[in-house]
Amino acid sequence: MSDLRSPGQDYFQSKWWKRKDVKQVVVIWIIATALIGYLSSKIQVIAMGNPASETMENVIHLITVFTWASSPVAGFVAALALQALSQKRHHGDNPPPEADHNISSSPRATAVWIIISALLCLFALVVGLIALQKDDQALLDRSAIHVNVTGQQWAWNYDYPGSTGVRSNVLHLPVDQPVVFHVTSKDVKHSFWVVQMGVKIDANPGYVTQTAVTPNEIGTFDIRCAELCGLLHAYMQNKVIVESKADYEKWLASQPDTGHTTWTAEGAIE
Amino acid sequence: MTTLLNKTNKKALIERLNIFTAFALGALAAIVVWRLSLAFLPADSESAPLFTREDKITLLSMIAWFVGFMTGIGALIGPFRWVQGKDLTHEENMFYAGKDLGVKRYFRYTTDHKVVGIQYLVITMVIFGIGGILAMLIRTNLGTPGGGWIHPQAYNSIVGTHGIIMIVGTIIMVTGPFGNYIMPIMIGARDMAFPRLNALSFWLIVAAAIPLIWAQFIGGISTGWSAYNPLASQAPLGMNGYIMFICIFAISTMVAGANITTTVVRMRARGMTWNRTPIFIYGVVASVALALPAFPVFFLSQVMSGMDRALGTSFYNTALGGSGWLYENLFWIMGHPEVYVILIPAVAALMEMAPVFTRRPLFSFNVAVMGIAGICGLSVLVWAHHMYISGWAPLLNAPFMLTTELISVPTGMLFLVLVGTLWRGRLWMTVPTLSIFALLWNFMIGGITGIYLSDVPADAFLHGSMFVTAHFHYTLMGAGLTGAIAALIYWFPKMTGKMLNKRLSWIAFWLTQIGFNVAFIGMFFVGLQGQPRRVEAYADIFSKGNLITTIGAFTIMVGMLILLHAVISSWRSGVKAPMNPWHAKTLEWTVANPVPLENFEVLPTVTSDAYGYGRSK
Repeated sequence: MSDLRSPGQDYFQSKWWKRKDVKQVVVIWIIATALIGYLSSKIQVIAMGNPASETMENVIHLITVFTWASSPVAGFVAALALQALSQKRHHGDNPPPEADHNISSSPRATAVWIIISALLCLFALVVGLIALQKDDQALLDRSAIHVNVTGQQWAWNYDYPGSTGVRSNVLHLPVDQPVVFHVTSKDVKHSFWVVQMGVKIDANPGYVTQTAVTPNEIGTFDIRCAELCGLLHAYMQNKVIVESKADYEKWLASQPDTGHTTWTAEGAIE
Repeated sequence: MTTLLNKTNKKALIERLNIFTAFALGALAAIVVWRLSLAFLPADSESAPLFTREDKITLLSMIAWFVGFMTGIGALIGPFRWVQGKDLTHEENMFYAGKDLGVKRYFRYTTDHKVVGIQYLVITMVIFGIGGILAMLIRTNLGTPGGGWIHPQAYNSIVGTHGIIMIVGTIIMVTGPFGNYIMPIMIGARDMAFPRLNALSFWLIVAAAIPLIWAQFIGGISTGWSAYNPLASQAPLGMNGYIMFICIFAISTMVAGANITTTVVRMRARGMTWNRTPIFIYGVVASVALALPAFPVFFLSQVMSGMDRALGTSFYNTALGGSGWLYENLFWIMGHPEVYVILIPAVAALMEMAPVFTRRPLFSFNVAVMGIAGICGLSVLVWAHHMYISGWAPLLNAPFMLTTELISVPTGMLFLVLVGTLWRGRLWMTVPTLSIFALLWNFMIGGITGIYLSDVPADAFLHGSMFVTAHFHYTLMGAGLTGAIAALIYWFPKMTGKMLNKRLSWIAFWLTQIGFNVAFIGMFFVGLQGQPRRVEAYADIFSKGNLITTIGAFTIMVGMLILLHAVISSWRSGVKAPMNPWHAKTLEWTVANPVPLENFEVLPTVTSDAYGYGRSK
């Protein structure tokens, strides 16, 4: 089938880089890479809007890095495809004449391709692991406040620390203050998504899951349920209000005691 | 005819059974069991969950339908004869193979692989038709922000039904029609290894369809196609239809998998070594072999789901000691290999066509095989990337990120084979050729967005959003369906004896591809903006992207309708196809049109691979 000394070898031994089609591919490759990388990352950044936490800044950064890292690959495939299309094309019911070669393999090209894709894969992994490490560390932050989040069909409820039984259905958070969410559900599976802060964790009945974030923008942001949870799943959303520390304390003090939650030392639901 | 099996003029039982007796017996069995269980099943105790008795009745009736249908179609005749100690005679086997039966053979338990292939083709098109109509309902409802005109319960059910039947449709779209019709001829065999199992695998799908339709009238499938527990256990009775559907379909897939694998391993023509076996065969075998470990798990997950509903067990009920995470694990242990079950044969079909339409050898056959094998191996180790944010095992996120990103290496090999084959080829511009380019484009976008999703921190933002929906439509539809449609155009002349109308299929190609990219790039955008999946209403900021998606979706619909018209009109009155219209070198083009009952009079001998194109220097 493909013996190792295939005609592809000759192809490499001659001055292949001087061939016209090779030059064409290189030119299209450079242009396509720049175009794909620039346009895709631009559109992605526009779509994701203004981040409200460092976590979200990292997500946007990660996606931009991945886009630029993969655009040479996409650009190369595009260049080969466009170069092929720019050749003489044959229409009609009968086949064109046979190609002027019968190259059936090229061990060198294959090796280069596999090594580069493995390296890119490794790069993506390392970049991801670094970001993941940061997210995991945030969970252990000693200075964090703890908020208990309870999902139920089809609303979110929030219980606050340091207060006896303050409960709200619009989340209030102080700015620049690390916060750990302890998330659970009363009925079916929900998913707690603080959109502009780039964090999401499932709310499972019977278990408590954690995620952490530090909001760094004052404003009103979105919380949505990201797991189909029945009839009114689409409407299971509300807001998070990030305010200055003073405003937050004032709001907390003004809330009535609803006697909802008991707290353990770590702040998790008992 | 009437005297074929019987000296008297009475028709034998085997001649009387067909699709009508099957439906009649199935319906009768269902009604009888329904009445009986209504009368005799004891009432639930006060403490039992809400639906238990109704669930039992529904499931029992559906099982009765299934048994009745399979008996009525004649699936039990063979085993019954075997028990009696007298196997089928030669005449009876020929009758089963559909000899001299004309059109009737398509409505019977026919064992000829070519009949089964056509049956699969038609049922795939029906499935895509229904799934497409549901997609149009979804997109119409999402054309404007705020609540649409469909009731949320009905909307959720439409989303779930669209999901599951499109998944089933795409699973069978290549291995069903072409794996059955073309594959045995391509390897130089007279039929499949187990012809009766072949008929069984097809009719099981028909039997499975009814519970799914039934479900729509008893509350629907309001859980999405993934049917997570505990949502599924509180869903209406329609959930039982989903459970039955999956169980029967899983059996069909396992039967087909065992049959196709055995056929390829044991029945290749003399001289067809593994190095001379066409790459499409590898794709089909990889697909069904991957389904073999995956679908028993799916089957099991649904049996447990049904037991939780009907028998009060607690596999998934946390309050009683079960775990919803167990369901998620079982589901995705099936669910991730399953996307490659869909994708691999479609890509392999295009790899098969690439040398034919570039008139040069397939580039790096060995790398193509390695790529397929690598994907198969890794795909069973990545399931928990669907559960990064579930909280099930945060410590496993990093290893699953590794395995998931590793899949890009063997996937890259498939790209290398395709672009390598295009390189310095002589392009013969047909719709399958264009489909290779479309696949490169769509699969590239689907693949790269898959890298974003495989990354845990990025997934914490993207999971459960429309971004995911757009991503898997790019892979399953943009890559998978594109390959399947190319396969249909490529093998249409052999399967129907007619050429598929070129102009119409060209128009259909461009409309679907442009519509597809408009629709799903719009969907990527709203996903990045933060729109969750499976919502029937959304905030105003998502309205532009959704409108674009809806416009794109309707463009796809027009393209698909034109393709359907092309298929029907060409099948009925198209130009007669020559024996080998593409001047290809695989064995299926060496047999006459229409393909004779046993394919080859003399079994062929293979002396080289099928890619000997191009002038040697």
